[in-house]
Amino acid sequence: MTTTLDTAAPVRPAVRPTRASLPTLVGLEVRKTLTTRSGRMLALAGVLAGPVGMGLLEASDDAFPSVAGPFAVVGIMTGLLLLAMGVLSTAGEWTHRTAQTTYLLVPQRGRVLAAKTAATALLGAALTAVSMGASWLILAVLADPSVSWDGAAQAALTAVGAGAAFALIGVGVGAATANTPAALTGLYLTVLGLVQIIRAWDTRVADAVDPQQAVLRFARGDAEVASLLTLGGWVIAALVAGWVFSRRRPVQ
Amino acid sequence: MISVNGLTKRYGARTVVDDVSFTLEPGTVTGFLGPNGAGKTTTMRMMTGLIPATAGTATIDGRPYADLPNPGAVVGTLLDASAVHPGRTGRAHLGLHALAVGVDSRRVDEVLELVGLADAARRPVGGYSLGMRQRLGMAGALLTVPPVLVFDEPANGLDPEGIRWLRALLRSYAANGGTVLLSSHLLGEVEHTVDRLLVIGGGRIVADGPVGSLLGASGTAVRSVDPRGLADALRAREFHVERQADGVLVVDGAEPATIGAIAAEAGVALIDLHPVQRGLEDLFFQLTENSGAAAPTPAEH
Repeated sequence: MTTTLDTAAPVRPAVRPTRASLPTLVGLEVRKTLTTRSGRMLALAGVLAGPVGMGLLEASDDAFPSVAGPFAVVGIMTGLLLLAMGVLSTAGEWTHRTAQTTYLLVPQRGRVLAAKTAATALLGAALTAVSMGASWLILAVLADPSVSWDGAAQAALTAVGAGAAFALIGVGVGAATANTPAALTGLYLTVLGLVQIIRAWDTRVADAVDPQQAVLRFARGDAEVASLLTLGGWVIAALVAGWVFSRRRPVQ
Repeated sequence: MISVNGLTKRYGARTVVDDVSFTLEPGTVTGFLGPNGAGKTTTMRMMTGLIPATAGTATIDGRPYADLPNPGAVVGTLLDASAVHPGRTGRAHLGLHALAVGVDSRRVDEVLELVGLADAARRPVGGYSLGMRQRLGMAGALLTVPPVLVFDEPANGLDPEGIRWLRALLRSYAANGGTVLLSSHLLGEVEHTVDRLLVIGGGRIVADGPVGSLLGASGTAVRSVDPRGLADALRAREFHVERQADGVLVVDGAEPATIGAIAAEAGVALIDLHPVQRGLEDLFFQLTENSGAAAPTPAEH
């Protein structure tokens, strides 16, 4: 590799004199997610999970009385994938040591986490909306005419919200642990395993802490306030933990 | 201007950086030297806010790094060439960098060309060699042509041509009024690049000054037909004489003319007589051997 260096005074390009605005940082975080293969694959999987699931549901000939249930399941399936996207947006920065560049360019760690939160929520909602839209079309074409469409809109909106909420839980837990394998393993074990163990022990406690159950109930219009509290509690607890643990963590 | 005052870092009872202070002026390249674990990297990371300091301050243009409105416009940093997502292309990495610092994306292609990575720009960084990653890191640091450069071991992995290029880059930067702080364990490289040396050992600054004054002219090497007789004559004049295995006498703090005169008085014929300058390596080991390098921290690599 041969390079030559012009030792004349370098011409300084036009540079923004102020710090990056929050919308700029949000756009930056969206680009960060979509410029890695893992991010693109998760986005693709999130979009396809719903329609593929609905196609399999139709192919299985299992009867379902209303589309609300399947729509809620779209939200859960997509959400569980977007959980990983959220984790990668924060913990992935520590795993790949890119947190160093991030914090050198934007030293205010609270702003970085806020930008990641907004970017991941937007991506989560947008990807789930696409997945939900495709799922809607599939059921509109293939579902038995006797299937009820009552509450379809609420279920679809719940799915979109669930996609964003699960992605945010990933952001917070990823920021708190700074370790991608630990965050993913811990989250999936908790959501898919521990909560179900609790359910076998006490259904009421499980209902209060199970984010999947909260999505299903909210989509059906059951216990809406309690469901919101459960999902909101997960999101807030994760993000607060992420902020507390990452704000002074040394970047080695 | 970079000003560091009393910067200290402790991990529990262990002090890895101890009351480090220095000021770097524009137009200079300063070499930051020290053995592994001496505290170079930790100091640089405290300066840039990546590691919180236990005590002390570091300011750039009068402000702590975190308070700079757009730090990337003021300080170009290369602290760890491997801190790049391996799945991104070099161009995508710099595109994100450009967006963060607020510079036109066309500048990305310019710096890729400057560092010699234009042909590899669309390849994932995971396939880059260490030298290519170093160049990519420098490209990021140079995006805004900032007035300050802080490079940690930038010559690692560079081939000789790359090292020569780096030397020219840093010298031209300083010649144009830039402030450069460069850490390196490649002593020969530093010796030919920097104006000033900061030597750190055991977390403390053990030497700070212009290269010329720290190295200085430290003595004279002389070979004669009668080494013993010459050594006796020199010792009689209270010179410290060290006899090397090849028979050469090294006389500390003496000028060749003085040695020649003493040899003439003693009637000893000389075969060779020349001044010796202490090398950077000698200086480095002399300054750091007693400082007790701190145990390496995770930041030291």
